Amino acid sequence: MQALDKALAQVGRVVLGKEEQLKLALTCMLANGHLLIEDLPGMGKTTLAHALARVFQLDYRRVQFTSDMLPADILGVSVFDPNTQQFSLREGPVFTQLLLADEINRATPKTQSALLEAMEERQVTLDGVTRPLPAPFFVVATQNPVDQAGTFVLPESQLDRFLMRISLGYPAPDVELELLAGGDLRQQVRELKAVINGEGLMKLAQVVGKIRVTRELLDYVQRLLDATRSDDRFVAGLSPRAGLGLLRAARAWALITGRDYVLPEDVQAVWASVAEHRLSARQGGSVAAISQSLLQSVPVVRR
Amino acid sequence: MARIYQVPSHTRLWLTLAVTFCALPQLLKGPLWQGGLFALVVAIRALVNRQRMALPGRIIRSLLLMGAVALTFYSFGRLYGPEAGVALLVSLFGLKYLEVVSQRDAYVLLVLGFFVCATSLLFSQSPLMFLYVLLCMVLLTACLAGINHSDTRASGMQHLKRAGIIMAQAVPLMLILFVLVPRVAPLWNMQVGNGKARTGMTDSMAPGQISELSESSALAFRVAFDGDMPPPAERYWRGLTLSHFDGRAWQQAIPRGMDEAGYLYSGRGPAPDWVDALTAGRSDGTSYAYQVIVEPTQRRWLFAMPVPFVSEGGVSLARDMRLVANNPVSQRQSYQVVSVPAATRRLPLAAEEKALMLSIPDESGRRARGLAQQWRLESQSDAAVVQQALRYFRQQPFHYTLRPPKLVADPIDDFLFRSRKGFCEHYASSFTFLMRAAGIPARVVVGYQGGEQNSLGSHLLVRQYDAHAWSEVWLEGQGWVRVDPTGAVAPERVERGLRAALEEGDSGDALGGIQLDGFAGSGLLGVMREWADYVDFRWQTWVLSYDSQLQLSVLSKLLGQVTPLRVAVTLMVSVALLLGLYGLYLFWRNPVHSQSPMEKEFWRLHQRVQGCGLALSPGVTPSQLAEAIAGRWPRAASPARDWARYYQRALYDPRQKASKQQMRHLRGLRNRLYKLLD
Repeated sequence: MQALDKALAQVGRVVLGKEEQLKLALTCMLANGHLLIEDLPGMGKTTLAHALARVFQLDYRRVQFTSDMLPADILGVSVFDPNTQQFSLREGPVFTQLLLADEINRATPKTQSALLEAMEERQVTLDGVTRPLPAPFFVVATQNPVDQAGTFVLPESQLDRFLMRISLGYPAPDVELELLAGGDLRQQVRELKAVINGEGLMKLAQVVGKIRVTRELLDYVQRLLDATRSDDRFVAGLSPRAGLGLLRAARAWALITGRDYVLPEDVQAVWASVAEHRLSARQGGSVAAISQSLLQSVPVVRR
Repeated sequence: MARIYQVPSHTRLWLTLAVTFCALPQLLKGPLWQGGLFALVVAIRALVNRQRMALPGRIIRSLLLMGAVALTFYSFGRLYGPEAGVALLVSLFGLKYLEVVSQRDAYVLLVLGFFVCATSLLFSQSPLMFLYVLLCMVLLTACLAGINHSDTRASGMQHLKRAGIIMAQAVPLMLILFVLVPRVAPLWNMQVGNGKARTGMTDSMAPGQISELSESSALAFRVAFDGDMPPPAERYWRGLTLSHFDGRAWQQAIPRGMDEAGYLYSGRGPAPDWVDALTAGRSDGTSYAYQVIVEPTQRRWLFAMPVPFVSEGGVSLARDMRLVANNPVSQRQSYQVVSVPAATRRLPLAAEEKALMLSIPDESGRRARGLAQQWRLESQSDAAVVQQALRYFRQQPFHYTLRPPKLVADPIDDFLFRSRKGFCEHYASSFTFLMRAAGIPARVVVGYQGGEQNSLGSHLLVRQYDAHAWSEVWLEGQGWVRVDPTGAVAPERVERGLRAALEEGDSGDALGGIQLDGFAGSGLLGVMREWADYVDFRWQTWVLSYDSQLQLSVLSKLLGQVTPLRVAVTLMVSVALLLGLYGLYLFWRNPVHSQSPMEKEFWRLHQRVQGCGLALSPGVTPSQLAEAIAGRWPRAASPARDWARYYQRALYDPRQKASKQQMRHLRGLRNRLYKLLD
């Protein structure tokens, strides 16, 4: 577990003052899930993704999504090779270990769904040939919450593919001072030391599955899910898939915290980032406010 | 969580609706200015809620109050009494609504609203009104739920749903209380008569009065038979006997020398000899047992077949074999009757009574007298004279019609010998006159004849158009015998009712262009009418007539012997049973396997800490609970953290098995903690 602490410390050197978000992002990776970052431009999304790739020694590619992008631009395309007289596949950027999908909501639904399918299946089928994606495979997608002109909003079914959604937000004043005083960020990222490699990460992910939960904890998770379903301020409650994701994320969080069993606090810690992007509130209610009120009102210990 | 002490915005619409609905019955029947006042109040409230204006100040409110009181006094002439009192209450209710700001005001308004609802039932107790009041109560309950809801973003429909559920849950309880809670007779008799003239009988009969009634299809009364129903030709519902004739109209009269006390027997005190005579005949021949539910008439007389025997208080028997209520019938009333037709022959005819029954004014009906005298000479007995007269009506060209020509000069002679077109009152009047002229004691009886049967409830509906007049003659050895001369002219009237009689005759002519509204139609409308009547009837027999007496009989059937203890125990047992069933349902619906001792442990501490004045949400985890304690009571910080650490390992680490020893340890930690809390 020291490796994880070290990894956090390394990434923390370039993404300053965002320990909570870093921990969540790491949790997401350990839980083998994809991450959606919703933020304004220039908040350090790319730096975060890049730093994660560095620290875990992952292949890293970045794709800027635009509205004229086609699925082939991401997945790859078959080209005819005159020398061998055969078609060969030219792999798209998706064949990497960590893909930063910048401004995913700028692409057309067709292109979005091509990526999202690859995310879910962890394989790509082109011209009838199915090719597995490298392992591990993570997608960090970003979305600009403010500038919505000319975008295709991700539907809820697609948002469900992301295990977590976080936003970094502005840095605190003292952190920002430090940031301004520091040197070239790109250079700093390049200087980051690798802590584990991809294989090590996958082993850790297997450990996550072995983190223990008791009947009482599962009960609590179920009560939370039930509360979203019976609360009529939400359009619809959380799906069983979301429930499984919540539990997996809570396990990963417990692992990062250095425990081999899950506490209700672990569930509460990942609750907002796992649940909120999958819910929508009726008539102008705030999802965040309602989901936080559920944490307040759902008894942790059975009454 | 901070409490909102203002009426939240999501409840304002419900408040407006509840106030309007509660007041509506009064507004519809009250003076016009009251509607105006309410419209004004609701409009001001709407503007205030939209923040278009401020609430009116003290001066305007005082002016409105004084205006409302003055106008109430102007409209009703007083400020007390049921009508004026309720009108004043409703006006004040509206004005109270005008000044509602805080939650406390809303409470006052809503409690007042329940009371206003109850006053609506003073004036009408129909099933529809009951449903309406129920609706008002759901709205009021929705408001109560709303003003107690702390979430400002709550939706209004949620309150209505909750109120509906609460009301539905209360229904079984209501039924139990309705059946079991002892009823006291009303302490005062509130005369809530809507003074309007109603269609119905009057206490005299002049030509044309009953035919007017036959244009109304309003309900007169209903009859529910306990056993056999008499055949249609026997269904004569006597209301009044008219013994005094002034040459034109027949009126009620008491024989000279008799006082009302001797004429009416209320069941109390020693029975007069005529009552004994009638009672002796109670087991003669066939008898019919039935319940009559009479619509308000504002009169004292009641309707029954001869000879009626009643057992309940409040109803007296009159010497002319009628029932008389002790108070005017101002609300629907029901009474149980056993009629024994044959008992009539037991009744003696006193000399002064006979004199009255033979009296006719000297100057009227000279030709008729001649005719009567002629029959007298030709016949051997009184009964033969009666037959003679009926034969006369049958054989001469008499017509049964709703629109008889106007009678000029002497009504008796003019009808008998010239126009010969008439309605039942003409036949009854002239026949009685003829009998008296022939020396046979006779009188006119008015009431209702027939009635249509509701096929759902198998009860009889008697409507105003069933009003009828006939005669009774006193024959030696038979007592008072009913003779219906109309039956001699138009037998269908007696056998099949007014409509059949009129259709049978030369239709257009007989109806005389009169619209007979409200005759039970056929098809869907008829079915609906029948259902509506059935519901109303059942409502009356099952709900409204459930008084202390009926309650006693129901309870003695249920409990055997009615003692306060038994009633109280039954009440408690049934309420407990009901709540138990509800609890069972809840348990069955979400099967909460009972709390483990570990889980109880948490909530004990949670409760204790809250009891010590630290507000906690149910969603705190054990260590958050410990931190909350540490924040409030720094002395208790370390034992609290110990407890939490130990507790969460016990509950969430699967390798720790919950053992008795652990529990003891935790309890010890908790007890140590308790001492540090206060």
